[in-house]
Amino acid sequence: MSATPHQVTLSAELESLPRFRELIQAASLNSGLSDQDIYDVQLAVDEICTNIIIHGYADMDPGSVILTAEMVGDALKVTITDFGHPFEPTEPPAPNTEAPLEEREEGGLGLFFVYMSIDELQYESSPTGNVTTLLKKKSP
Amino acid sequence: MQVFFKRKQQPEPVVPNLGSITLSLLEGDPTIPFTLKQINELPENIRRRVYRNLVPAHLLTRFGIDPITWLGANKEPLVFIKAEHEKIFVSARTTPAEEDEFFALELADNLLNGIDLNLLLLNDPTSQRFGTDKDEHGRSTMFGTINRNMAEETRAKEAGLAPGQVRNSLSASKIVFDQVETFLATIGQRAYFLEPLTYASAWVFEKRGFAYVRGHKLMDDIHREFQPQGKLYEALNASSPFRQPDQWNTVRGRAWAIHDGILETIDMNWDKLRMVKQVGKYANVNTFPNSIY
Repeated sequence: MSATPHQVTLSAELESLPRFRELIQAASLNSGLSDQDIYDVQLAVDEICTNIIIHGYADMDPGSVILTAEMVGDALKVTITDFGHPFEPTEPPAPNTEAPLEEREEGGLGLFFVYMSIDELQYESSPTGNVTTLLKKKSP
Repeated sequence: MQVFFKRKQQPEPVVPNLGSITLSLLEGDPTIPFTLKQINELPENIRRRVYRNLVPAHLLTRFGIDPITWLGANKEPLVFIKAEHEKIFVSARTTPAEEDEFFALELADNLLNGIDLNLLLLNDPTSQRFGTDKDEHGRSTMFGTINRNMAEETRAKEAGLAPGQVRNSLSASKIVFDQVETFLATIGQRAYFLEPLTYASAWVFEKRGFAYVRGHKLMDDIHREFQPQGKLYEALNASSPFRQPDQWNTVRGRAWAIHDGILETIDMNWDKLRMVKQVGKYANVNTFPNSIY
């Protein structure tokens, strides 16, 4: 049993990211998710959508990103649909977070944090749309 | 930022290449979609049973056409289909005359075996007709995209029509899109695509639940630049009947100005837009908030 999903469809531009974060906040209202849980989901959505905007719609007049969020049982389920280039997910290499800052490679933390901060990540691509699904369970 | 998603070099087709529709294929996995080409290879009467699903029965009975036989009150055929290769074209008329067409629809398989909506016409046959589809020499204007009949377009605009229209709309797009989706679900297709001819048609498709594969940013840019002090707003300088200052705040007004080439002001063109509708889903796009048609 789930409540009515929250949904927003915006252009694939970095300017849309604050609206996506607001939607996650609204969908989490009275959900029992902790502030840290909600922040984790917002961070994950930021990273996924940034990838879609920069790489998924590369060399195209940007199309839409559809973000849907709903509580399913005790978890927040977020679905991100886009119509850009299809991708194949691969396991992320773990960045060396122990190394001194000046020795670390630039970047590389984005999707690493996504994998670390949420409970499930699924990605499906087809010519009718690419769908990324994130699941974040309430922290015990 | 480092990307852990590798771009696919060869997108997979929507429909696998399984050849012609056979009884064993029909008895197999019902989620495997069919292409229009596969349906068009079926015998004529089977095709007709399938494509009957494309025409809203309510729309036909409204004009006295039998939704099963497709005959009018005088037993004359008033619904016509052309199903060849990868396309299906359906046309319905109040009389056998071409100018009395009130409904026309063309679907086609695209390169990935998905479905493109190439054409949708919904004309109120009782309304005044404007000759925007033919130039002064009687040649087709292709909805004003190849050449234009300025005198007829001016009259059409004053009568409240949008670019590309020859008559008032039937206001039946919702039942037609519902019907198309039912048809697509029947053949197992999950989405369909189109390229909007005009700004007004893109706006209508937004209201019917479409999202953008390409062009969402362009629509946002257009809205921003039509606001007071925007470049498109400033370009509505009464230099032609299609660029009047009050056109900034209506869908039709913007559509006529764009049809007239005003996007060149911001170094853009009305092309390369592509929209998608996922069957059973509503994208809720709104690039012109609080719009007036």
